[in-house]
Amino acid sequence: MLNDIKVGLLSAKSSIKRGNKKTLTFIVFVLALIFMNLVFLPSMIGGMMGLFTGFMQYPYGDIVVEPSGDNIYINNADNVLQKVRTVPDVTFATKRLDAGASIQYKQKVVGSSIIGILPSEEYGVSEYPNIITEGEFLGDISRDEIIIGAMLVEGYFGSEIYDNLGAVRVGSLVDVTYSNGEERTYKVKGIMEGTFELVDLNALVHYKEIEDVFGVDDGKATSVVVRVKNLEEVAETKEKIITAGVKEPVFTRDEKSDAILRQAMQSIGMIDVVSKFVSLIVGAALILIIIYINVLNRKKEIGILKAVGISPHSIVLSYAFISMFYVSLGIIAGLILYFFLMFYFTINPVTFYETMTIIPEIQVGLIINSIFTMLILSVIAGILPAWRVSKENILDAIWGR
Amino acid sequence: MKEKTLIKVKNMERHYKSGEGIVRALDGVSFEIKEGEFIAVMGASGSGKTTMLRILGLMDDLTKGEYSVQGLNVEELPEEERTYYRLTQLGYVFQDYALMNEMSALENVYVLSLMEGNTKKESIATAQEALEKVGLGNKGDRIPDQLSGGEKQRVAVARAIAKKPKILFADEPCANLDTHTSEQVLEVLRNLNKNFRQTIVMVTHEQWHTKYASRLIKLKDGKIISDKKLRK
Repeated sequence: MLNDIKVGLLSAKSSIKRGNKKTLTFIVFVLALIFMNLVFLPSMIGGMMGLFTGFMQYPYGDIVVEPSGDNIYINNADNVLQKVRTVPDVTFATKRLDAGASIQYKQKVVGSSIIGILPSEEYGVSEYPNIITEGEFLGDISRDEIIIGAMLVEGYFGSEIYDNLGAVRVGSLVDVTYSNGEERTYKVKGIMEGTFELVDLNALVHYKEIEDVFGVDDGKATSVVVRVKNLEEVAETKEKIITAGVKEPVFTRDEKSDAILRQAMQSIGMIDVVSKFVSLIVGAALILIIIYINVLNRKKEIGILKAVGISPHSIVLSYAFISMFYVSLGIIAGLILYFFLMFYFTINPVTFYETMTIIPEIQVGLIINSIFTMLILSVIAGILPAWRVSKENILDAIWGR
Repeated sequence: MKEKTLIKVKNMERHYKSGEGIVRALDGVSFEIKEGEFIAVMGASGSGKTTMLRILGLMDDLTKGEYSVQGLNVEELPEEERTYYRLTQLGYVFQDYALMNEMSALENVYVLSLMEGNTKKESIATAQEALEKVGLGNKGDRIPDQLSGGEKQRVAVARAIAKKPKILFADEPCANLDTHTSEQVLEVLRNLNKNFRQTIVMVTHEQWHTKYASRLIKLKDGKIISDKKLRK
């Protein structure tokens, strides 16, 4: 076997060293495109997924604690908060009370989710205070005030798609009818715009308002939202929260996003899967064709090698080495091209829905997988045709019959 | 001293299908080759001389008959052992040189020694020695495209003899060469035969080539029509 490897390497080395450089360049170029095809579109889709996952911080923070079983509320949310805050990796935590309601302004009525928040605590937990495009965020004494989502306001992005409240503006008075029939009038203190339905179709009021409206006991919440120091270690932090004694279900943002995005992104996810599959098939076929043509062009040489006593194993190994060399160069060229495009699209992101920018996501796992896939394909693509030719009759191979 | 018999061929037949009929390329050929002989095989096109050489070189199979080298029935060897036998015991020079175009002259020669399991250093030394024998000691770094036809054929001879084969087969080694270059190649073969007792079987079209040989076998329609010694 060692002799086969030595001869295979010598044969491959001389083929590469003295072979046609234009052909080599062309093959490497095509292989680079195949590699690009494997990693580029998934990176763009990954960027899109990242963008949507990012939106999930509004309802879920980094970690969210939810009521257990069929319960509507976390019964002792303050106790939960106390336990959560003992975990060193937690930077902030707050409780929220969500409710269903309809909002009316003049003749226009829309259904919406109203989220009861503790305004000063939200600064540490969510981005809500940072996405106020008109007016101001709620304060701790904002009991008769409301923040409404931009898609509920005529003229804002997305408002044309959904029912809206017309020309409602900061300072307008809106009537809110909660799901239990209780009615309240609020002055619009601000308009928030997150360019995402989960944010822009909702409204925010003070936590105490929802407590009052539904008459719930002090300390109840529909969720406890948590911000962590290090997002990379969010899974570990979640475990620590559970260890700290929180009995209610605890989820990371990704876990919650997965469930929601799995539905919302189903079509995109399918495109991603199909694109990867097609890229792989096309890549495999192209590599096989390139190497096969290469082997066919050298059929006579294979016949000669066999005739003078070189073992078929050496011949097959030689083509596997050549094929791996081509593919390695293709991968390197593909990586250069890929990172160049990633750099370009990071500086010039693709704009989606006018306001959302998609920055492609470099997925190390995907790149490593693609590299291994290409290398495995190259070995198969090199071995298969060479093995076939090496099994042919010597005279047929030499005389190209 | 009685010369050892290297090759024994008995009733060798090789048939090919051609349309509806069968062509008898070799039709009951028998002969023996002794160590140190330089045999020229002649005959018109289609007489069966190249077919015979390919069978002797283990590149083709006979249809009927027996073929043994030093008592070993090589015809019956499995493919893998035949490849190894070709590598270690037989040398073959092709009409069109059959060199690897992307390997240097030295690499073309030493690749076989490497295949035999020798180290690169040993292989290069053996290859260099073989190139010296054919007068190309200073052209080992050239690739075939940088060599003349005669030089390419001498590299092919060097490749065949570097492993010191029991028998060297040469299939019209001067077919593509001019007279002067042909003389150089034939001189190399004669020196190998004379100085190193290399057994050689050479197929040729040219009558004048036979002056380098010690025995002449003539074929016609797949049969031996004459087999005579030419010189001592």
